[in-house]
Amino acid sequence: MIKIIIFLFFSYIYGNNQIPGTDQKRPILLRGGILHTVSGEILEEHDLLFAEGKIVTIDEQIQPSPETDILDIYGKHVIPGFIAGYTRIGLTEISAVKQTNDHSEIGEINPNVRANVAYNPDSDLIPVTRSNGVLIVNSAPSSGRIPGQSSVMEMDGWTWEEATLKHPAALNLNWPSMRFNFRKDAKKKEKAQREEYHNAIREIDQLIRDVRAYHHRKNAKERKAEHKQQSDLRLESMIPFVIFKDPIHIKANDARQIEAAVKWSNKHDLNIVIVGGKDAWMLTEMLVQNNIPVILLGVQVTPRRRFEPIHIPYKIPAILQKTGVHFCISLDPGYPMDGHVRTLPDEAMRAASWGLTKDQALRAITLTAAEILGIDDKVGSLDLGKDATFFIADNEPLTQYNNPTKAFIKGREIDLSDRQKNLWKKYQEKYRRLGKLSD
Amino acid sequence: MIKFFLFIGFSLLIAQTEPVKDIHRNQPRVWALTNAMIHTEPGDSLKDATLIVRDGRIEKVGRYIKTPLDAYEIDLEGAHIYAGFIDGWYQVKKDEKTKSPDDHWNKKIRAEYRAKDDLIIKEKDLKALHSIGFTTAHIVPENGIFKGKSDLVILDENLISIKNNVAQILEFKTSGWSERSYPNSLLGVIAVMRQTFLDADWYHKSTEILKNYPDENEPIALHPSLNQLANFKLNRLPILFMTKEEHGALRSLTIAKEFNLSPWLLGSGFEYRRLEEIAEQNPFIIFPLEFPSKPRVKDPHIALQYSTEQLKHWDMAPDNIKKVFEKGLRFSFTSATLKNKKEFRKNLQKIIDRGLPKSVALSALTTYPAEAMGLEKIIGKIQPGYIANLVITDGNYFDTKSRVISLWMSGKEHFVSNRYSITLKGNWKLNISGDLYNLSFKNTQNKKKTASVKQSPQKKEKLIGTIQFGESNTTITELEIYETTVEFKVDASFLNKDGMLAFKGQISKDKIVGKFFDGSKQTNFTAQRENLGKITKRNKDIATDSKLFYPEGSYGLDKELLNPNAVLIDNATLWSCSPKGMLQDWDILFVNGKIDKIAPDISVPMGSALIIDGTGKHVTPGLIDCHSHSAASSINEGTQSVTAEVRIRDVLYSDDINIYRQLGGGLTTANILHGSANPIGGQNAVIKLRWGSAPEELLFKNAPQGIKFALGENVKQANWQGTGRYPQTRMGVEQVIRDAFRAAQDYRHRHKTYERNTKAQKKKTPPRIDLELEALAEILEGKRLLHCHSYRQDEILMLTRIAEDFGFKIATFQHVLEGYKIAERLAEHGAGASTFSDWWQYKYEVIDAIPYNGTLMAKNNVLVSFNSDDAELARRMNTEAAKAVKYGGLDEIEALNFVTINPAKQLKIDEWVGSLEEGKDADFVIWDGPPLSIYSKVQETWIDGIRYWSIDENAQMEDRDKNIRESLIKKILNSTTPNTGKDIKPNSDTPNHGHNCNIIDSDLFSQEYSQ
Repeated sequence: MIKIIIFLFFSYIYGNNQIPGTDQKRPILLRGGILHTVSGEILEEHDLLFAEGKIVTIDEQIQPSPETDILDIYGKHVIPGFIAGYTRIGLTEISAVKQTNDHSEIGEINPNVRANVAYNPDSDLIPVTRSNGVLIVNSAPSSGRIPGQSSVMEMDGWTWEEATLKHPAALNLNWPSMRFNFRKDAKKKEKAQREEYHNAIREIDQLIRDVRAYHHRKNAKERKAEHKQQSDLRLESMIPFVIFKDPIHIKANDARQIEAAVKWSNKHDLNIVIVGGKDAWMLTEMLVQNNIPVILLGVQVTPRRRFEPIHIPYKIPAILQKTGVHFCISLDPGYPMDGHVRTLPDEAMRAASWGLTKDQALRAITLTAAEILGIDDKVGSLDLGKDATFFIADNEPLTQYNNPTKAFIKGREIDLSDRQKNLWKKYQEKYRRLGKLSD
Repeated sequence: MIKFFLFIGFSLLIAQTEPVKDIHRNQPRVWALTNAMIHTEPGDSLKDATLIVRDGRIEKVGRYIKTPLDAYEIDLEGAHIYAGFIDGWYQVKKDEKTKSPDDHWNKKIRAEYRAKDDLIIKEKDLKALHSIGFTTAHIVPENGIFKGKSDLVILDENLISIKNNVAQILEFKTSGWSERSYPNSLLGVIAVMRQTFLDADWYHKSTEILKNYPDENEPIALHPSLNQLANFKLNRLPILFMTKEEHGALRSLTIAKEFNLSPWLLGSGFEYRRLEEIAEQNPFIIFPLEFPSKPRVKDPHIALQYSTEQLKHWDMAPDNIKKVFEKGLRFSFTSATLKNKKEFRKNLQKIIDRGLPKSVALSALTTYPAEAMGLEKIIGKIQPGYIANLVITDGNYFDTKSRVISLWMSGKEHFVSNRYSITLKGNWKLNISGDLYNLSFKNTQNKKKTASVKQSPQKKEKLIGTIQFGESNTTITELEIYETTVEFKVDASFLNKDGMLAFKGQISKDKIVGKFFDGSKQTNFTAQRENLGKITKRNKDIATDSKLFYPEGSYGLDKELLNPNAVLIDNATLWSCSPKGMLQDWDILFVNGKIDKIAPDISVPMGSALIIDGTGKHVTPGLIDCHSHSAASSINEGTQSVTAEVRIRDVLYSDDINIYRQLGGGLTTANILHGSANPIGGQNAVIKLRWGSAPEELLFKNAPQGIKFALGENVKQANWQGTGRYPQTRMGVEQVIRDAFRAAQDYRHRHKTYERNTKAQKKKTPPRIDLELEALAEILEGKRLLHCHSYRQDEILMLTRIAEDFGFKIATFQHVLEGYKIAERLAEHGAGASTFSDWWQYKYEVIDAIPYNGTLMAKNNVLVSFNSDDAELARRMNTEAAKAVKYGGLDEIEALNFVTINPAKQLKIDEWVGSLEEGKDADFVIWDGPPLSIYSKVQETWIDGIRYWSIDENAQMEDRDKNIRESLIKKILNSTTPNTGKDIKPNSDTPNHGHNCNIIDSDLFSQEYSQ
């Protein structure tokens, strides 16, 4: 109860609902907290000083300068903001209402579309999600073979430009389905299904070749004016990923899809990340050998096959950890899960309950996620020089009843109220007036 | 019985009624078949016996019979004679029932249709049936749910019926989801069956009264379908249910029991899995004689798409019939599903190899179906008076090398194949002008067959011939055989001549006589058989050594569950979910499936109870999920806005692996609800998660009946392409519900008035029993709990008002995500609220969903539970409950109540479950830590004092199942038998994650066995 009152107190102080935080003007010293650095040890009763949005000092005792604001947080925990590796935050408001969806462009090949330009910084999903400590998300487009480029977004900002932490985060590719439908009512016979698959692969193979050719011709030195390569946004957008090996996130869950995707990336010498990876536990050797990271979507899910051990999805993170696969944990987006990014810590806790240590589980939603998304120079841990993107809570990071009491993104203090808390308050008032609720 | 006599002398009837086309034909109809091995009936045969056929019937049979003077003798030395075989199933193709204004309103109900009206058997098909010995076939209709009537027909050119109205055929046939005509779910199909049987009774009763009191009643429209059905039902004529798996059989038999029917089944081959239950009503079963083909495990990825029970079925299915026989059931065979009818005898051999006695196999072809059809006095045996339907073979029928030579049908012989088999294969001595040469023919496999994606099971065998002289060989070319003529070409070098020689000869059993032609002259040759060449020995099939599991497949039970008389847990932390709260270091004693005692210290005599050391352990009541769609084969009958007649209990699916998974999360009771496709959905079923049991045994017997209603976007079909179904607004939803209740009031009034007036009962036609209105009336009478899917406060408020207007209470609002906005109304009305912990955002009507909903309602005296509506959430209800602590700061004990005693109260089963209190059911969970913690794990889950799940057993079963799976795959890879039979299709989909309310039937069939 006490926790909640304190928490309410905070929300009242910073009452203006969900107005973006102001840039950090004065250094802030967090004094005496328990620092979950993630990169190193847990530092008990340590001070953390951050200024101009960056972590400046971490030490047992820091002498603050006179202009420093001091927050005593003895016994409280400082935790790097959680990072959700694959979401549709900002790109959808209500999954079932078409008008609110901006994640699925028409057509199969859309490498040129960019998630962040459609990111709605005023989405109600943002405050609700960050209320549980998820301060950074990778927002990804989702339909077709190549849905587009994803962007790593901070959960704060007046505009999408302010909220963009990294763009492009990756080129997204949905690996064609290889789980052939043998059912009697399958519209296409097995042969046609296989053909469809091979056509899909041929199409992306050709696309890769076209990108190389496009790049080659654009850069060819000797050419006549009339030989100028006309512009093609699709091909051009893929140059960083095909030529300069920026990461391609391949969504693949089935064992044979993962296998095929890895072989394909080797063939074309690409830098890929497996997204989904529900069968990744069957292919750990291959993933380690080829040094391919996995954004695992969903821990708290049912097994994919009737005969699989019932707890296998809970244990996959531990299997990946043990075998040395580089992985982070996120949730499977899509109806009706888009609003569920806030349960990211629950996913990590479940993994910690089934074989991961709590430290490993925490890393899987912070630093490892940052590494896989290529933002570990800025976020993911409490380290000098990194962004002051973290939250303060009364409990250890992976405890169920934890509610962040303060949160900072690049040193800006975030309003932790949200639509749901406001409705809660509103209706508590109703019952107070009816005399049914005290306090 | 009358029908019997109708057929005496049936063959003459044609002659009597049909005008003669040209001049009269009167073939002699008296024959003496002599010197044959006569199998007079299964298990009984006469060697060197004689059989007299006169005028289509068997006149005499025996060893020392004098041939009547007028009989013509046919010597059948070495041949076997069997009574004609009966094919148990022949479905007419494209039955085209003529439309009539008297048809049932539902075109799938066509009980009056007689399949034989549209019977056409193509020459080719007829020949194929003859080639395996079928002289009669059971002719059944193709379309509909109540498909119509069957006949037993003689398979000669006249297709005369020996009997009509053999059975009424029923199929659990749904229309596609897109078709949108009622019923489009298994739920609906069963409801239609039940309602139609009731209607048949009503129609019969009404027409009887109407006959006697025509002045007192309004005439009833003619219902040929109901009339026919009443005839079948009253006379207990067979009702034949088509089944695809064992659950279909169980469902059929449940219906048969309810309506006192005489059930037959079209077998599925899966009967062995629930034989105990199936045998209870002693159904007659018609088995398609086909077994699964080899699962395609060569590709390890496709192998992953097979469930273990599918692999096991390949191994076990050929033993099914033997097991059914051993259980005392009677059955017949059909070749209907076989594209290549030659497979029939091979499959027959397979089951005999595996232990079915030959006499039983013969019975299934003859006497069993004859008896079942009430024709045991005229067909199925070779005895005087029986119809002369005979199968003549050149050896024992059950040796697949033997051949059917001819069939006799109604005393007339029909040629099938030559009396003697012409086998070229083997070694011969070729004699040309006194010189002897070695001639040999042997089989080779045709290698031309190309690989294709689809397997082609038929390997073409080809004969290769060679002539040997001295050291060298010459290969024969252009070998062709027509009937008894053989032709081939061979190089003349073996005669030291040039060119090619063309041989042509007639084969008899051991001799070829003919000439060869060198272009100018023909020369005689003969060949004498030396031997039959290498005879490949057939590998006998052997019965499976796989053990039957309940249910079949992974985690199936292969032994009794731990079921001690008494269990004592010592020194545990008891979360009682009762006013006693949490009890630390207490003891709890369970005796005979009930909670016997809860006290700080309990002692029992040594050895009288299983003692579990509870130190460090936590014990809670079994968790309860108030909203689940697991364990059912069908969820939505969404074709009509009111479908109160459909019942989840009819479609319970006890093999659902989610039952086991959820036990592993401490769940013991679940409320299985109809979906939310329509304002008034179907009746729910409260179950206990008794893994391994048959569907009926899942039912929570004491739980009151209930029903599912739904409001909002789903029922107005706002989230998918509209169908134009009423209602399309929340306004319309309200009216649909009010209208339904008004109709139910009127209905009850009609029935009560009729029941009260005993005089009228004699003279007046009774009101019809309507299962839909019956269920609705029960709600009004307070006998049926109403659970309503709802989101917004307006619709919730609305339904409480309707309920109050009609004088009853809503049991629960489900989801009820805006319940927090009108908590005082819910409390005042007394409705329970069963909500999600933290779901929101997915559609417009949940825009105001908040995770504080549960807490806020609870604090305003609403009885609150958290539910899953999802197979995954259902196995972690404890951590769902914990979210009420996180959001809104509810006390942990109260939060646990959200998934224990509160849902028990909502379902009115709190007298038995939901808390640890003396006298309640021994449904409990042992945890290794505090139950709300995500870091605690279930150690054991008990129901009724039986341990259904334990973490150790689970680990053992995982090892066991891994081994079974691997050895099955190896067995399939090692199997060399030709790959024929029915495909077992690999599973195509991975299970859905997410909300289940919109599930349709086709999503639910986790496995598909192709037809």
